[in-house]
Amino acid sequence: MALNVRPLLSSLLRSRTGAILVAMQITIALAVMVNAIWIVSQRIAAIEQPAGIDDRNMFVVAIAGLSSQFDLSSALTQDLAYLRGVPGVIGATATESVPLTGDGQDTEIFLQPGQRGRSATVGELQTDTEGLKTLGVSLLAGRNFRPEEIQPFSKHSLEQSVAEIIVTRTLANVLFPGTDALGKVVYDGAGRPMTIIGITHDFMGPVDLGNPKYQTALFPRIPGAFGAYFLLVRTTPGRLDAIMRTAQRHLAGASPNRVIFFAHPLSFYHQRMIAENRNMAVFLSTITAMILAVTCLGIFGLATYNVSTRTKQIGTRRAVGARKRDIIAYFMVENAFILSAGVLAGCALALAVGYWLSVRYGLPRLDLYYLTAGVLFLWLIGELAAWQPARRAASVPPSVATRTV
Amino acid sequence: MLSYYLRLASKSFRRTPGLTVLMVCAIALGIGACIVTLTVYHAMSGNPIWWKGNVLYAVTMDSWDPAQPYDPDSPKLAPPQLTYRDATYLMTSSIPKHKAIMTQLLGMLSGAPGQRAPVPVMTRATTGDFFPMFDVPFEYGGGWDAAADRGPQPVIVLSHAENEKLFGGIDSVGRTILWNGRQFRIIGVLKEWQPVPRFYDVVNNPFAEPEDAYVPFNWGPTLQELPAGPSSGWGSQPVNNYRDYINDEDVWIEMWVELPTAASRARMLAFMNSYWAAQRKDGRFQRPLNNHLTNVGDWLQVNHVVSNDNSILLRLAFAFLAVCLINTVGILLAKFLRRAGITGLLRALGASRGQVFCQHLVEVGVVAMLGAAVGLVLGVIGLKAVQGLYTAASVLDSGSTNYAALTHFDPIGIAWALGLAALSTLAAGLYPAWAVGRLPPSRYLKSQ
Repeated sequence: MALNVRPLLSSLLRSRTGAILVAMQITIALAVMVNAIWIVSQRIAAIEQPAGIDDRNMFVVAIAGLSSQFDLSSALTQDLAYLRGVPGVIGATATESVPLTGDGQDTEIFLQPGQRGRSATVGELQTDTEGLKTLGVSLLAGRNFRPEEIQPFSKHSLEQSVAEIIVTRTLANVLFPGTDALGKVVYDGAGRPMTIIGITHDFMGPVDLGNPKYQTALFPRIPGAFGAYFLLVRTTPGRLDAIMRTAQRHLAGASPNRVIFFAHPLSFYHQRMIAENRNMAVFLSTITAMILAVTCLGIFGLATYNVSTRTKQIGTRRAVGARKRDIIAYFMVENAFILSAGVLAGCALALAVGYWLSVRYGLPRLDLYYLTAGVLFLWLIGELAAWQPARRAASVPPSVATRTV
Repeated sequence: MLSYYLRLASKSFRRTPGLTVLMVCAIALGIGACIVTLTVYHAMSGNPIWWKGNVLYAVTMDSWDPAQPYDPDSPKLAPPQLTYRDATYLMTSSIPKHKAIMTQLLGMLSGAPGQRAPVPVMTRATTGDFFPMFDVPFEYGGGWDAAADRGPQPVIVLSHAENEKLFGGIDSVGRTILWNGRQFRIIGVLKEWQPVPRFYDVVNNPFAEPEDAYVPFNWGPTLQELPAGPSSGWGSQPVNNYRDYINDEDVWIEMWVELPTAASRARMLAFMNSYWAAQRKDGRFQRPLNNHLTNVGDWLQVNHVVSNDNSILLRLAFAFLAVCLINTVGILLAKFLRRAGITGLLRALGASRGQVFCQHLVEVGVVAMLGAAVGLVLGVIGLKAVQGLYTAASVLDSGSTNYAALTHFDPIGIAWALGLAALSTLAAGLYPAWAVGRLPPSRYLKSQ
């Protein structure tokens, strides 16, 4: 198709204001879209990180003593005995903090005593022999805690030492890259030794330590240092709601010296954990979609305006032999010029915005694949937006040329 | 003249209703997005005690591990909280007009008339100056004095909401209630008080609700209650009991002082520095001198109270508004140029360039106002939608944000957004109105 570009360009330059305005919209739209989708993709990746525990079938009951007469240790034992006897319960354990809540204790552990050698920050989860079963976490190597290894409850046992810990695969790799961590000894800040007796697949603990999220360790300890404890329960699929309700009712009546703060399914905390990322993704996608819609309307509007002001020229061209598809091509190519100018400036702006975001907010640098895809996408919908006006232009009959408007 | 221009404008709208609706919608969407993001941003970045912005200071001292900074991402920052030892020593200073140390305790309230089950309440354990220093408003009664702090005396202040819940909102001052199984005398009930952000407590979620009960700080150590808020330590001594805990290098106490003059600030800092030097001789404070008095605005900033996400969204909303406005300029221009013939006629009949400009500007103004009005509605709907995105909090959950307060329909912020949007639309309309007045009338008269 031999399209003469010169007259097209000169007419475009003659009435350039509208074209410049549309190009500006395309520029901003491209810069926003590419960076927004880049951010959204990272948020989705964060949301989709598996928790590694059977959180869909777990719930937690928070219990605290009311007075110093409250015998926390025996209450806890009774609660666990009750829960483990409920049909449909796979496992139950008592903990100091709840996975996925962001609230809990983290601690630094070292390869050598005296806070020396390689170290790692560890999210602690205190539990007993039923911990692994309750979480739905499986051992890759080593063994579970034995009953005699569980440290008994004592008030203010904040940092009471334990002799054995079970760690996740990620944590094992951080502490002992390239070698087998099983059976190795690590030390807490006070220099007390702990042996790694088991390695599990990755799962998220109570605290969020950033990336990687899986630096979790199980500590064999009965909770209660704050005068409160959490009962974690895992049920068979589909039974959670019913068991949670009956358990709550039973536990509330078990002793007058204590109170139940709440009972929540763990999915509540999972939802809350991803809420920030999910909301950001929703906001970014919504505003980006609106920007694209408004920009397409702008392209459509400009093309419509151009067609309607040039009816007579179109008729004349048709009268002197231009085919319908020449007319369509004329408007589509004109639109393509505007799009290209906008997209070109948009690339520069997108890169500038991406750079600014990475410097100002520490976001990862914009991936160029996203820019390429964004350019193609915007170009495509930009041409689609001009398609209908161009078709209408083609339907102008040649006879128009002979009339005076 | 104005009414005539308005009539012309409404005629023009009726001639091209589709374009008019399109313009109004574009502006409204842009304004709506700006209202939503600005409201949330404004609430998050606000200084809820701005009238004391330059007299209130957070006290920090870098008592952290000589081997590594408290926050490896911002190595220059001291921990936001103090150790028990340092906080109690700094409280002996008589330099500040007001001074308070504070932490969060988990409390259990029971024994109110007709109360069946005890209710858990987050409790602020603090010293008496907390109330006058932060201008906390009382509905009934008042706070406590230094004697109550020293005792500590069993006195308690309830929030408006808690008093509503337990006593049906009556004046409960003088009654007793059980806090963690002990008798406490209610000496004050707050009015509704919700500073957003909760500037005095950035280590817990600064957008959570304020606590529902307040007791003298010393009840924590007296009853050996561990703080419910975060506590961080680095020392190598094993912590086996409460005494170990409060003597250790654990930081868990926030401290604020009111220093009305530059001289008092200098004296307070000198006091901190001399304490630092003396302690350093004894082997503590082995990190470089990093004692600070930070005012509220800076405090919110260094502690990243406004999340990055919110400032990104704010800028995004403005980019969107820009696209909408450019779009509107394009439509207006096309519209005005299309009826250049009529404008030419008016000019030929004696209308001045200024009059043509004014006539078109009135039309732009009407579009801007319609857009702003629809945008306001969209903004309110948007704020409701944002509220709906969040999950409800429960007690014990300092992690849950009180989004009702953040998305609160804030008239000043919204007036701002509206004014800004209407003005920018008008500014955007200047060019088309001017461009159409510039056209030579003869050309358009001829072609007709």
